[in-house]
Amino acid sequence: MNLEQHTPRPYWNSYWAGFGLGLVLLASFVIMGRGLGASGAFTTAVATVVHQVAPAHAENSPFYSEYLGDGTHSPLKDWLVFEVLGVFVGGFLSGVLAHRLKFTVEQGPRSTTPRRLAFAFVGGGLMGIGAKIALGCTSGQALTGGALLNVGSWAFMWCVFGGAYAVAYFFRKQWI
Amino acid sequence: MNAPFYKFGLFGDEASFIIAFLIGIGFGFFLERAGFGSARKLAAQFYLRDLSVLKVMFTAIITAMTGLYVFSRLGMLDLSLVYLVPTFLVPQIVGGLLLGVGFVIGGYCPGTSCVSAATGRIDGMVYILGMVAGLLGFGEVYPRIVNFAHSTSMGQITLPQLFDLPYGLLVFAAVLMALGAFAASEWAEKRFGGKQPDPEGSIIGGSRRLTPVRALALSLAVIGLCAAFAGDPYRGHHTTIATRDLEMRVGQGADLIEPAQLADWIIQDRNDFRLVDLRPQKDYIAWHIPRAENFPLASLTPDFAAHNEKIILCSDDSLEAAKAWFLLEAQGFKSVYVLSGGMQGWKDFVLFPVRPQGATDAAFERQAQVAKFFGGSPQASNTEASSVATPAPPRVAPAPLPTAPPASTSTAPPRKKKEGC
Repeated sequence: MNLEQHTPRPYWNSYWAGFGLGLVLLASFVIMGRGLGASGAFTTAVATVVHQVAPAHAENSPFYSEYLGDGTHSPLKDWLVFEVLGVFVGGFLSGVLAHRLKFTVEQGPRSTTPRRLAFAFVGGGLMGIGAKIALGCTSGQALTGGALLNVGSWAFMWCVFGGAYAVAYFFRKQWI
Repeated sequence: MNAPFYKFGLFGDEASFIIAFLIGIGFGFFLERAGFGSARKLAAQFYLRDLSVLKVMFTAIITAMTGLYVFSRLGMLDLSLVYLVPTFLVPQIVGGLLLGVGFVIGGYCPGTSCVSAATGRIDGMVYILGMVAGLLGFGEVYPRIVNFAHSTSMGQITLPQLFDLPYGLLVFAAVLMALGAFAASEWAEKRFGGKQPDPEGSIIGGSRRLTPVRALALSLAVIGLCAAFAGDPYRGHHTTIATRDLEMRVGQGADLIEPAQLADWIIQDRNDFRLVDLRPQKDYIAWHIPRAENFPLASLTPDFAAHNEKIILCSDDSLEAAKAWFLLEAQGFKSVYVLSGGMQGWKDFVLFPVRPQGATDAAFERQAQVAKFFGGSPQASNTEASSVATPAPPRVAPAPLPTAPPASTSTAPPRKKKEGC
């Protein structure tokens, strides 16, 4: 299939996309008794790699050891890891169906690619650290905990928006 | 339906991984559909050009929230079995602020970066690398900040518990807040993003017709409104106990029922109470008060009887009876009483009543008749009272005599038999 021949379809209306997302979240609650997540899977992957490279170091770390399980099976055999694999597949499927697969860099007209990629790396790093301090990211805390009226999740959610709006002005050249 | 299915053992871990994968596909699919594979679209939220992040997130939150409420309220789902991330307030505030800053710099959050990378966005892939680097760094630093990460612990706590407000009321408040935020978002998009509202896809703009989007918003608002009045969705696991009320009832002895009163009710064959024998099964089989059902303490689950039924507890262990009484009160049972004096009280006052010194035959006649009804025999004096025909359990200290018998509730429903088990 030559993707260049197709123009990307427009995105869905936000409310319907959100409704679909809400139903997936609800299904997760009803079937599994837990919500969605994302950062936890990456932590498990990181902990597994650290464990492969330096087993003693990982087992002695109060951080990595929590993600290594009881040792009876691979730590990657974890619910969130499978869920995040699904996220990649689901995103890919949706992208294919809407002709949105494209190797590109998302940035504003005033941004340059090297700077954008450097910022993506730094932003990813900050999010990784923040998500671990907060015990979850936008998926595990804001979405999941938000729907459960979790105290910490609502505090977290407002702080994500607050933090982002507070610094948005300084990074405007990257986006607009 | 007993949900969450996994927690009720409907399938095992292996199957749960397949389900995880399928749920993930749904998650990724809708994130991509919403346009969240694009950092520009996501970041536009913070310049008020395109507020899709807020709209998608809050629609998802209130959809799942109202759905959970409805399932729980209908008794199809046990909300207390849904995992709740414990609250560590300050770390979550700090982490949230860091995520917010990282969101503007990086353009994604962890979930959306997966979708972005899967659709070929190079910045999304680099973001994931950055996240991995951040996690590695955090892993090394963690031992030094572990005290901070565990500070301001509040346990697993929801907003309704924190503010002591009805759960449904907060569901309604969240729905109203979301709908208000949607209206504000559409206004901002028009004002700052120069977007003309799409008449089919907006809540406030365009025509006055009831478009599907408005129907969705209206449905969520109606469910929220109903929730505000429909009570607590938890299955009686989280109840507030009116300690003052309990104190007064215990103080007045209104939590006790006299053996003679119970005997009358049994003779009259009243059907508005259930007599629960807390003793081990072998003791129950050996002998029990007529009508008694055997429920050892551990089997007193919140659904063992209707909450408005009158329940009378009897045991030969006053501590056991007190535990059961408190447990049932805490589970929200409306009228729970303990048989005064327990099984021994029943023997002393009903089966083998002792004629008081100087009492006339006439006065004692009724007690004697009751004793005979239950297969006992009246005793002439104190000295003979110890020789009882039935296996005598060790005597427990009789509970203090109550001053007033409990008021009978004439509105109680017909007696319901124990089901299953």
